Amino acid sequence: MEPNKTPNALLHGALDALILKTLAWGPRHGYAIARSIEDGTDNAVLVEEGSLYPALYRMERRDWLEAEWGTSELGRRAKLYRLTDAGREQLALETATWRRFSAAVSKVLLAR
Amino acid sequence: MRRSLRSPLWRVPLAREVDEELTLHLELLTREFVARGMDPAAAREAARRRMGDLASVRRTCMDLGRRREREMRVTRWIDELRFDVRFALRQLRRAPAFTLVAAATLALGIGANGAIFALVDATLLRPLPFPNSDRLVAVWESSEADSREGSSPLNVDEWNERGRTFERLAGYIPNVGGMVMAGADGTAETVPRQWVTAGVFDALGVRPVAGRTFLPEDERLRANVVVLNEEFWRARFGGDSAVVGSDLRLDGEPYTVVGVVPQESEVLGRTSMWALRSFDPNPALRGAHFLAVVGRLKAGVTLEEASADLSAVAGGLAREYPETNAGRGVTLEPFRDAVIGGDLRSTSLLFVGVVGFVLLICCANVANLLMARATVRTSELAMRSALGAGRPRVVRQLLTESLVLAVLGGALGIGIGAAILEVAPSVIPPGLLPASVELSFDLRVVGFCAAAALLVGVLFGLAPAWRAGELTSARAIASGGGRTATAGGGRLREALVAGEVATAVVLVFGAGLLLRTLVAVDGVDRGYRAGSVLTMMVDPLGSSYPTPEALLGFYDDVEREVRALPGVEGVAWATTLPMGDSVVGDFSFEIVGEPLPDESLRPVADLQIVSPTYFPTLGLPVVAGRGFDDRDTGETVSVCMVSEALADRQLQGRSPIGRQVALRPASQPQAEAQTCEIVGVAHQVKARPDEREALLQVYLPMAQAPIDDIYLLVTPTSGHAEALTSAVRAAIGRIDKEQLVSVRDVTTLDDVAHGATGRHRLRALLVATFAGLALLLAMVGVFGVLTYSVQQRIRDFAMRRALGATTRDVARSVVAGAARVIVTGAVIGLVVSALAGRLLSAMLFGVRPFDPATFLIVLLLLAATAAASVAGPAWRAVRIDPADALRHG
Repeated sequence: MEPNKTPNALLHGALDALILKTLAWGPRHGYAIARSIEDGTDNAVLVEEGSLYPALYRMERRDWLEAEWGTSELGRRAKLYRLTDAGREQLALETATWRRFSAAVSKVLLAR
Repeated sequence: MRRSLRSPLWRVPLAREVDEELTLHLELLTREFVARGMDPAAAREAARRRMGDLASVRRTCMDLGRRREREMRVTRWIDELRFDVRFALRQLRRAPAFTLVAAATLALGIGANGAIFALVDATLLRPLPFPNSDRLVAVWESSEADSREGSSPLNVDEWNERGRTFERLAGYIPNVGGMVMAGADGTAETVPRQWVTAGVFDALGVRPVAGRTFLPEDERLRANVVVLNEEFWRARFGGDSAVVGSDLRLDGEPYTVVGVVPQESEVLGRTSMWALRSFDPNPALRGAHFLAVVGRLKAGVTLEEASADLSAVAGGLAREYPETNAGRGVTLEPFRDAVIGGDLRSTSLLFVGVVGFVLLICCANVANLLMARATVRTSELAMRSALGAGRPRVVRQLLTESLVLAVLGGALGIGIGAAILEVAPSVIPPGLLPASVELSFDLRVVGFCAAAALLVGVLFGLAPAWRAGELTSARAIASGGGRTATAGGGRLREALVAGEVATAVVLVFGAGLLLRTLVAVDGVDRGYRAGSVLTMMVDPLGSSYPTPEALLGFYDDVEREVRALPGVEGVAWATTLPMGDSVVGDFSFEIVGEPLPDESLRPVADLQIVSPTYFPTLGLPVVAGRGFDDRDTGETVSVCMVSEALADRQLQGRSPIGRQVALRPASQPQAEAQTCEIVGVAHQVKARPDEREALLQVYLPMAQAPIDDIYLLVTPTSGHAEALTSAVRAAIGRIDKEQLVSVRDVTTLDDVAHGATGRHRLRALLVATFAGLALLLAMVGVFGVLTYSVQQRIRDFAMRRALGATTRDVARSVVAGAARVIVTGAVIGLVVSALAGRLLSAMLFGVRPFDPATFLIVLLLLAATAAASVAGPAWRAVRIDPADALRHG
C-alpha cells in the first residue's frame, strides 16, 4: 500500500457517506471498514485512523450506527458497527447530495 | 442473539471499549503488513507509524463516547420512566379495589391538608397586601396591668414628632360603629363606619382608587370627611366617580366623600367607610387610651430599634406628664401578628398538626396496603431481578408505582380541597376570621397539594419498595411466592399500625379535651334565667328625637306597644347583650371614700344603661338592695346598680348599698365625673363564655341616661322568641310612623352566645372530625393487618385445630395478636397525650389538660372501635375448616 496521498478536504465530508455505504453491506469492525473503503476506491482514498474512529463515534452518537459484539479474524471479540434505519436514511440523503454535487463539479471541470 | 454494546448485559467500561477497538485495529494492520512479507517487528513498527498519534485518537473517541453515554443515560431514564409509569398504570388497573381504597385514602389526607393549608397560608404565611408590609408595626401603650392597652391620640402625636424610626404612625378605633345614611329619596340605612386618624392610609401604604385619602389639613380644619370602601362604593354607588367630592348625610350631618380606598383597608375593620376623627388638644385626652395604632417603619429599621426608640420617647413623656403617663411604656408587634391574633395563629397551627397527623396515618395505611401487595408480587419481582433488573431498578419501579398512586390521590385531593374550601365560608361562623384572612382556592393550594402528593408518594412508597428490593432473591422464586416474606414485613406493618393507633389516640384525646371545653362554654351559667330572648338594636336618628324626653317617650311607647302584643311576656331595654357587644363600653370608676388608686391603674367596668324592666325580664336576680323602678327619673337623685363581682372585689364584702360611685368614660379620665348612688347589687352576668375573671358591671337607669343606640329585649310567654320578630318590628313601625328609626342586628341571646363560643366550636368540631377520621383509618389499618395475617396463617390455624385446639384458642390467638398492636399503640398514644396536653391548655376552658374523664372516654372509644375491627378477621380464623385448609392450602 503506497502512500497515495489524497487531499483531506475532499474526504472530510465524504468519509461519513463512505462509511455508511460500506456498512450497508453488513456489520463490520473499524479496520474492515477502512479496508473496504480503500479497496473499493482502488486505494485512491486513504482512510486515516485519526479520522475514522472519531467519525464512527460521532455517527453512533447521532444514532446512524449502533455497536455490537462480534468476532474478529483473530478469533477474539470485536466491536462491530451496524447501520441503523436512521443511518440508512442518511446514506440515501448523502448519496443524492453527492450525485448532485459531483454532476455540478463535473459539468464545470470537464467542460471543453 | 445480537449482543448490543449498549445493553446493560454486554456493556464494558468506555476506556476498555476504545482500547480494545484500537488494539484490534493495530494488530490487524500488523498482520496485513506481515502478510505482505514484512518481518513481525518491522510490521508492528510500520503499523504503529501508520496509526499516527494513537493517544490523541483515543482521547477524541473517549470524549465522544462519554458524551454519548451521558445522553443515553438521560434517554434511557426517560424511557424507563415511561415504561414504569405505563406498567404502574397497568398494575393499578388490574387491582381496582386496591387502587380505589389507596387513592381515596390519599385524596382524603391531601385534600384536608390542602384546605388547612389555605387557612395557614392566609394566617401565617402570606404577607399583608400592602407595599413592604413587613415594615408595618402595631403599637400599644403598656402599663403594669396590661402590656397591650389602647393609645392616647396625644401620645401618638408625640411619637410621630419625637420618634426617629417611623415614617408614619396613625391610629384608628378598633370597634366599627354604624351611621345612619340618609338617601336622596328620604330613605335611611345604617352603614358601618370606622373612625381613623388622618395618616392611617399613608402608614398602611394604601393608594386611593379614586379621589384622595385624608390630609393633615382635614385634621386641622376638623373637617367632616369620609373615604369609602371600594366594595361599598361599587355596590351602593355603582362605582360612580361623581360621588367623590359630594356630600353624604350621616347621622344628620353632612360629610364630604374625599376618596375611595381598596378593600384591603378592611384590615383595620370590616366596614363600608372610614371617617376622620380629629381631636381637641385637650390635656385630659392624654390619659384616654382608646386608639389602635399602626406605624410604618423607616427602611432598614428593626422592630427592636423601633421599640427602643419609642420606649425612650414614652419615658420622656412619663417625666413630662407624670399624672397621665407615669409608668406607661409601649409594646410593639408586627402588624400582621396583631391583625391575625395569637388565638387564630395557634388555632391554625393546631389544625396543621392535626391534618398532618391524619395524612401520616393515610400514608401508613397505603404503605401497609402496598407491602401486602408487594408480598403477593414477590415472584414477579424476583423474576424481574433475575432478568437483570438490579435492586435500585426494582426499587425505582416500585417507587414510580407509589408516585403514580400519589399523583392520582393528589389530583382527587385537589378536588376534595376545593370542595372543602367551597363550603368552608358557610361553616365558619362570621367574624371568626379577620377581614384580611380570606380562604381561597388558588394556585398556591394546588401547588401545595402537588408537593404534598409527591412527598407522600415517596414517604409511603419507600418502605415497601425497599422491602420489595430485599425480596428479589432467588429464594423468593424457589418458594413459589409469599411465605418467606411475611415475618420481617409483618413486624414492620405491625409497627406502622401501632403508630397509627398511637396517633389516632393523641388526636382523639385532643378532640375530647376541645369537645369538653365546648360543652363547658356552652353550658356556662350566663347569670340570667330567661330562656329564649329576642333582641334587636333600635337606633332613632339623632335629629328626629331632639330631647331626652322625646327619646324616652319613644322608648316608652315602643315598650307599651310591644308588651300589648299577644305572646309577649317581658320587654326591656339594655345597651349590653350578655356575651355580646357593649354599646357604651368601658368606664373607669371609683367608689367615693375608698383609697384612690393610681390614675393609670383605675379600675374599669362595663357601663350598661337599662330599663327598670331589664332585671325581671331577663330573670336576673337582684341580690341586695333594690332594682330600678319608676322612682328613678331625670329629676331624682342619680342611682346605679353594680354586679356582684364589683361589690366583692372593690369593697371586700362590705355592703355597697348607699355608697357613691364616680364614673368617667375610660377614654376621658380628666372628664368631670358623674356621681351616682348604689341602690342595688345584681347577680353577675357572663360577658364572655370563657372569661377567666368576671367583668365588672355598672348599671344606670335609662331614664337618667337616655341614649340613642339601645337593644330591645323581648321574651315570649312560651316557645321561641324568633316567632315574635315580625310582630315586634311591626309594632315599632306603628310608633315610628316616619321611619326615622333604624332597626338592625335582629337576633336572639342564644345566637349571641352561640356566636361567642364560635372559636371553641370550630376548633372542637374540626379536630373531632379529623380525630374520628384518624381513628377510622387506624382501625382500617388494624383490620388490614389482621385479615392479611389470618390469610397467611390459614394452614397454621388448621394444623392447630387438627391437633385439638378449640375455636376459642384460635380466636384468642388472633385477638392476642391484635391486642399487642393496639395496646402498644394506645399506651404510646396516651403517654404522648399526657405530655402534649399542656400544649392545648391555652385553648381549654373548664377542663384540665390531664383530664381523667377524657382519658376514660378515649379508652372506651378505642376499645369499641378495636373490637369492631378485630371481629371480622377473628371470625374468619375461627371458621377455617381444618381438613379443607390442609388439603388445599
